[in-house]
Amino acid sequence: MRLLKTTRWLAVACIALTGIVTASAQDKGLENPRSTTFRKTLEGKKVVFLPLSMGFDLTEGWAAVMRQQAKRLNYSFEIRDPAWSTDAGTKALQSLISEKPDLIVAHNPDIQSYARLLAQAQAAGIKVVQINLESNTQTDSYVGADWTEIGEQAAQAVVDKCSPGKGVSTKVAIDTGVPTAASDVFQLDGIYRVLNQHPDIQVVSQQATEYNPEKARSIMDTVLQQHPDLCGAIGIWDNQDTGTASAIQQAGKGSQVFLVTSGGGNKVGCENVENGLFNLYISYNVPLQGEILNAEIARLLLSDSSAGETKTLYFNPLTQITKANVNQRNCWTLDDLK
Amino acid sequence: MAASDALLRLRYRFVPDRLFGELLTKSWIDNVIPALALVATVLIMVWIIPGFVSVGTFSDLARQLSEFGLVALALTIVILSGGIDLSVGSMFALCVLAALVSMNVLGLPVGVALAATLATGLVCGLLNGVLIGYLRLRAFITTLVTLVIYRALYDIIFPRVASAIVGSMPVSPTWDLIGFGSFRGVPVSFIIFVLIAVGAHIVLSRLRPGWRLRAVGGARRSAYNAGINVKLTVCLAYVASGVLTATAAFLFSARLGSTGADTGIGMEIAVLTAVVLGGVSLGGGRGSVGNAVIGSVLVLILTSGLIRLSMPGSVNQLILGLVLIAAVLFDAKWVKNRGKLLNKVYISPTYLKLAEQTTRGEQDVLAVNDRLGATQLIGLGQVEGPEDVVLDRDDNLYTGTRHGTIVRFLAPDYARSEVFARIGGHPLGLAFAPNGDLLTCVGGMGVYRVAPDGKVAKVTDETNRSLLSVIDDSRLRLPDDLDVAPDGRIFFSEATIRYEMSEWAVDALEGRGNGRLICHDPKTGSTRTVLRGLIFPNGVTICRDGQSLLFAETWACRINRYWFDGPNKGKLEIFLDNLPGYPDNLNRGSDGTYWIALLGMRTRTFDLAMRKPAFRRRMARRIAADEWMFPNINRGCVLRVSASGEIIDALWDKAGENHPSITSTCEHKGWLYLGGVSNNRIGRVRIEGADPEWTSQGDYWGRR
Amino acid sequence: MSEATANPGPRLPTLLKSQEGIVLALAVLAFALFSFLLPSFFSAGNLLALVRSVSILGILALGMALVVIARGIDVSLIATMVVSVSWAFVIARSGYSLEFALLIGALFAVTAGVLIGSLIAFGEVAPIFATLAAGSVIYGLGRTFFFTLEMQNVPPGAGWFSLIGKGRILGVPVTVVAFAALCLVLHLVLSRTRFGWQIYAMGNNPAAAKITGIAYRPMVVAQYAISALIAYGAGLILASSASAINARLFNSTMIYDILLVVVLGGIGLNGGHGKVRNVILGTVFVGILLNGMTIMNIDYTIQNLVKGVVLLLAIVIDSLVNPRDEQTSQQGDL
Repeated sequence: MRLLKTTRWLAVACIALTGIVTASAQDKGLENPRSTTFRKTLEGKKVVFLPLSMGFDLTEGWAAVMRQQAKRLNYSFEIRDPAWSTDAGTKALQSLISEKPDLIVAHNPDIQSYARLLAQAQAAGIKVVQINLESNTQTDSYVGADWTEIGEQAAQAVVDKCSPGKGVSTKVAIDTGVPTAASDVFQLDGIYRVLNQHPDIQVVSQQATEYNPEKARSIMDTVLQQHPDLCGAIGIWDNQDTGTASAIQQAGKGSQVFLVTSGGGNKVGCENVENGLFNLYISYNVPLQGEILNAEIARLLLSDSSAGETKTLYFNPLTQITKANVNQRNCWTLDDLK
Repeated sequence: MAASDALLRLRYRFVPDRLFGELLTKSWIDNVIPALALVATVLIMVWIIPGFVSVGTFSDLARQLSEFGLVALALTIVILSGGIDLSVGSMFALCVLAALVSMNVLGLPVGVALAATLATGLVCGLLNGVLIGYLRLRAFITTLVTLVIYRALYDIIFPRVASAIVGSMPVSPTWDLIGFGSFRGVPVSFIIFVLIAVGAHIVLSRLRPGWRLRAVGGARRSAYNAGINVKLTVCLAYVASGVLTATAAFLFSARLGSTGADTGIGMEIAVLTAVVLGGVSLGGGRGSVGNAVIGSVLVLILTSGLIRLSMPGSVNQLILGLVLIAAVLFDAKWVKNRGKLLNKVYISPTYLKLAEQTTRGEQDVLAVNDRLGATQLIGLGQVEGPEDVVLDRDDNLYTGTRHGTIVRFLAPDYARSEVFARIGGHPLGLAFAPNGDLLTCVGGMGVYRVAPDGKVAKVTDETNRSLLSVIDDSRLRLPDDLDVAPDGRIFFSEATIRYEMSEWAVDALEGRGNGRLICHDPKTGSTRTVLRGLIFPNGVTICRDGQSLLFAETWACRINRYWFDGPNKGKLEIFLDNLPGYPDNLNRGSDGTYWIALLGMRTRTFDLAMRKPAFRRRMARRIAADEWMFPNINRGCVLRVSASGEIIDALWDKAGENHPSITSTCEHKGWLYLGGVSNNRIGRVRIEGADPEWTSQGDYWGRR
Repeated sequence: MSEATANPGPRLPTLLKSQEGIVLALAVLAFALFSFLLPSFFSAGNLLALVRSVSILGILALGMALVVIARGIDVSLIATMVVSVSWAFVIARSGYSLEFALLIGALFAVTAGVLIGSLIAFGEVAPIFATLAAGSVIYGLGRTFFFTLEMQNVPPGAGWFSLIGKGRILGVPVTVVAFAALCLVLHLVLSRTRFGWQIYAMGNNPAAAKITGIAYRPMVVAQYAISALIAYGAGLILASSASAINARLFNSTMIYDILLVVVLGGIGLNGGHGKVRNVILGTVFVGILLNGMTIMNIDYTIQNLVKGVVLLLAIVIDSLVNPRDEQTSQQGDL
């Protein structure tokens, strides 16, 4: 019985195969030599991603997008996870230099820690792309947000809401992350560029939260005790600002305090916009960044120029998400990318 | 039966069971486990990661080790002093800042930058040291607070100088040499590390400051009472920690030329892990530079290997945590059970077959009599453990006691006694040298000489070390009896090299040749082992030919004759075999005879046990020591044998009241003097028909 | 310090000599100073905010204190807290009811505590290392197998859950009420029950405690299980009030803060003495400092420095008032 079934299937397969063969015999088409070289050159190459740490929306998102392309084009993609430790990161980078992959995608903990090693890597012939957080060494490519621009947009939004006469007061609080991190430094620069043009805006508090939502909550709690008439707040990262938002909601000042934050556009952030925790969410769109990264990786791997020969950078566009435009197109979940 | 016995004999002859126990007695065994773990880790990494063995990997590792290892050394020193330094990570960060500000921002020469860095470390360490050493704060909480303070300082200063540090690169070949340079392929920073590590090892293990540090860490109160300046020592440990951390920071700065916001964060945990993995014991006093280095290499290889395997950071954390748990668990169990394990496995019985004893009739020469029943007692209750007795030319009686003295009983009635000499250890065998010096084997010490005026001098306490022995057998553990050859050479037996004086009887359970015969030549001052592998060699006496000697092998129940001179030199033959008991000391008697003291009689059960090594091993492992089956050393006798080795007489104490166990005899002017190592008296008994003028001294060196 | 604990009710002079007294004096001083200098400091709202901001720290410190009094230490509290709560959230998001998920989280926390306790009680590993390593393992385990993202938002659709962190009872935040309730419970347990007395006995003299028939090992296991459960509770409050929990807390210096609160309040790390009021004192002192400095808008890094220096001052004064003697200090006493 079983045998019979198998034979039947075999027969069907044979007929189908003959059909295909005869069909192709009729029209073989034209080989695209560029496609062949494209795939051949990329095949077997080695790309290594050195994130700040895995386990949060940004790096997981980029990694998912990059892994997809690696699978499609048959090059190897590895992740070296230093788990938030700059020291482990430098060690990983150092061992990468002796391992010599074809390309490193580096996510800098700050503007200087990797600077020297990235230059060394390029000198050793490894191409380097930096993602979202740049270092002082300009490498083959940088893809990511322009933090100054985010700062400017955030400050502008707050200014719009809190200029004299518009809000309950002109008091604004700023929650930073870790004061030495690159994103903080550039973003603060952007914020103050705008605020300096509006001297009537009063910064009543600027505290570091160490990316810790509970700490952000407790700081905002105290600030609201001191300044019940707070008008605006700028947070540096959506992950921490859930805490800031909680404090505001709890004080019953959700409609009074205008909270601006920024992040990768993850669904969780969008949820918070939807339920009114965040008033404005500046997204640097992780899937988009991932696609740009992919293009840069392919371009660099194909290019004949040696590492460090040409240096490009691209600041990707930002999306301002508010309750009005929160939708599927602007937000993503990790499962979408996988 | 015979075949299985032969097999048993071969098995116990060639399988070195005893090595396991002997290895456990070594102090370096503590380092073996971490070292083995390291080797295993390396092998696994080499196996899993392709291209792990490469020049690049090793130079990377060497550079990382030079920084990480220095901090591990710093922490080791503090832990050895009985403290802990959690602030190393923050100190490290501050020192990196000092180095980079000096080099990049201020543009100072390398030497000045180094001085500035070290000074920063010194100040930080000094603060810890003063607080913990002089103000007696608790180390854990204090360094926790200084961790916060130093970190806060770093966080305050760093953002202000960050851009300046990155802004300029110093132009200094020395700086670059330290950072990237290598000498014959070895990174310069690694060479610096090795030099410092070797120096630290020498200081910690060979010099006074290191010993004091260990003393303070091991037993603070005792160290204080012994007059060590505890406060200063503790303070200096933290200063050393600061300076070593600063050195590491200097190397780090030269290598990276920059620093990040989280430099040094979590370092204390990583270093603590490394140090504990390496085998340094938290609680002080136990640990070494080697431990620190092994632990550091282990942690570095593990972390860098895991990163190279593209493991997520969380998996690294998981694995490091598990390894740490395994290490601390092992350490806890090891420290607790090493002694127990040693006690269990150290005793390593072997096969010993004694010939069957013939049954004795009533008329036999060995028949029990009561000729020792009515001895004259000397020094009853005044001497403890008179193992050997000897008389000088003026008829005074000498014996050693457990209290570490040689007691002299004065002729003629031996009622008065005096302490002749204080030795410090229990004097066992005694013999007079031709010049009138009293020579003695002292248990646990060696061979000593006592001049007639009571002055004590060491003759020898070591011999040549055997090449393949695990136990260091160069020191004398249990020299037992001695005699002097006509040319002045001293021949003495060492009963066992595996047991101390206090547990000599345990050697009987082994039945292995653990003892040896040693010769000391006063002319050259050299001491050489003559015969090894003897089964508890005990009494030694020079034969009248002046070329050979007799020695007893106690547990083997035999007397051997060994020629040390003359045509037969080197020959060893059995003089008297299958004795009815365990022979102890041998001494010359009148009429060309020899006296043999038997400390106990053989029993059939124990003879059987000696043919069952596995039984004795089980016994030693499973039941308490005071339940063990020992040979009968409670009841013995004295034998007199002819020069040809024939037993011609036996003296017994039937009631067993005065001299149940006899370890030595000495014939002197018609009397036989008796000693016993577990007795509290000396006895003498008149020997019928003996030459009343015969003395041992006269027999050896001629009449005066 | 021993004098203070020997007396049933410490009189003022003896109290002032103890570390507890010194910290109390410092706290009162700081409180007075801030009330005088900062206009908005001394108001009911701010004082509630003050207590509230440190009550999670206080709850964790209570768990730590329990272990420390019995001569242990638990540096795995944060790991247990973040992993059990995050896992509960992940389970809830994957379709189970929040109640069920929270139960699983509690079970996980207790299991972790029992395992750590067993490692210490039966493995005879020094608590500091056992919990250090266990923290690493728990966190690694959680991040590897239970959840990928470090940040876990509170699952949607459970209104009652957000009340834990955000609600108020008679105008007092639930967080503060929870802290107060736990203080009361722990105080009663420590001072009125056999379990509590045995904990003091174990801390005072472990060897004697074993000999006198205290079920030493089960007691150790129980302590760590309780402290893990307390950590879980603190995690729930924390997550509820901030609407999310961040697993990265494990990498922060929070555990050091907890230890400092405990030790600062006057509970010695060598065990055997200390009461709930010590934890309250330490918590409130840290709260006053942080709140005052936040109001003054002092830079975060400088706050840390001030905090550190004040702590150092407290322990230095303690050692000057109660100098330790070479002859009476204990071996291996860190």
